[in-house]
Amino acid sequence: MKIKKDLDYVELYAEKLKNNNNLFKQQKGIIESQLKSSSSLFKKTFKTKNFKVNARKYLRGIGLIQ
Amino acid sequence: MRKNQSGYIIEGEIIIINRSLTKLDLFVKKFTDVLKKHSDYLIVSGFVSISTGRTRGTEDIDILVPIMDKDKFKNLFNDLQENNFWCYQGDTIDEVYSYIDSLTNIRFAQINEMFPNIEFIPINEARKAKYFEFTHPQKIKIKNFEFKIPPIEFEVLYKELILGDKKDLADAKHLRTFFSDILKEKKFKEYETIIRSELNENKKGSRLC
Repeated sequence: MKIKKDLDYVELYAEKLKNNNNLFKQQKGIIESQLKSSSSLFKKTFKTKNFKVNARKYLRGIGLIQ
Repeated sequence: MRKNQSGYIIEGEIIIINRSLTKLDLFVKKFTDVLKKHSDYLIVSGFVSISTGRTRGTEDIDILVPIMDKDKFKNLFNDLQENNFWCYQGDTIDEVYSYIDSLTNIRFAQINEMFPNIEFIPINEARKAKYFEFTHPQKIKIKNFEFKIPPIEFEVLYKELILGDKKDLADAKHLRTFFSDILKEKKFKEYETIIRSELNENKKGSRLC
């Protein structure tokens, strides 16, 4: 398969994953690394003490809540 | 039956994904373990692709839940709070139920976390495509985590025809390829009619606005 665009990579990866579940280990690593970064960023930004208050202020600012 | 190194196998009506659980799965499992005590549900959108191997980040997990009365919602809301979830929209039933009543989405995350979050999408029969997928669930299982998603063909078409951005098209390509051995052309045809009718309704709605 010749890779020309991003969707070709998606197709190639899914094709390989179909017959080789070892690739799930790589996927797990990437997903968990994103979760860790995001969690650490928001904990630092909003602090644990007033987390909800600060988080809601931020969410209002970006228009995610009213 | 496919051999053990396969990405998935089929057991009866259930798709078994052949992998270990991630922290994202455990977050969703914790939420659905509470939710299913109070209501039926369907997990849709990005998590369907990610749980079946698509490698990309996500901030929210979309879950369809049929609209419920205030008392029933109160029990669910209290149970979620007891299990360390907080709701972006408010801390009391009175604050939050108005969203449910008007079919507006709300979000839950774990205490002291913003992401990932659950996007809780109340639905009723008027939301035809959503109601259709809700009433035609596909069971899927990863280790001891069993949950319900739309028929794969429906999810693929919804991403291609309704959502249609780059991320959704990549998700659809992943699902089409990964599940190519079990997807049925007949189902694609059947579901396309339902999804196109929602598309036409949306177009009419946006012209009226």
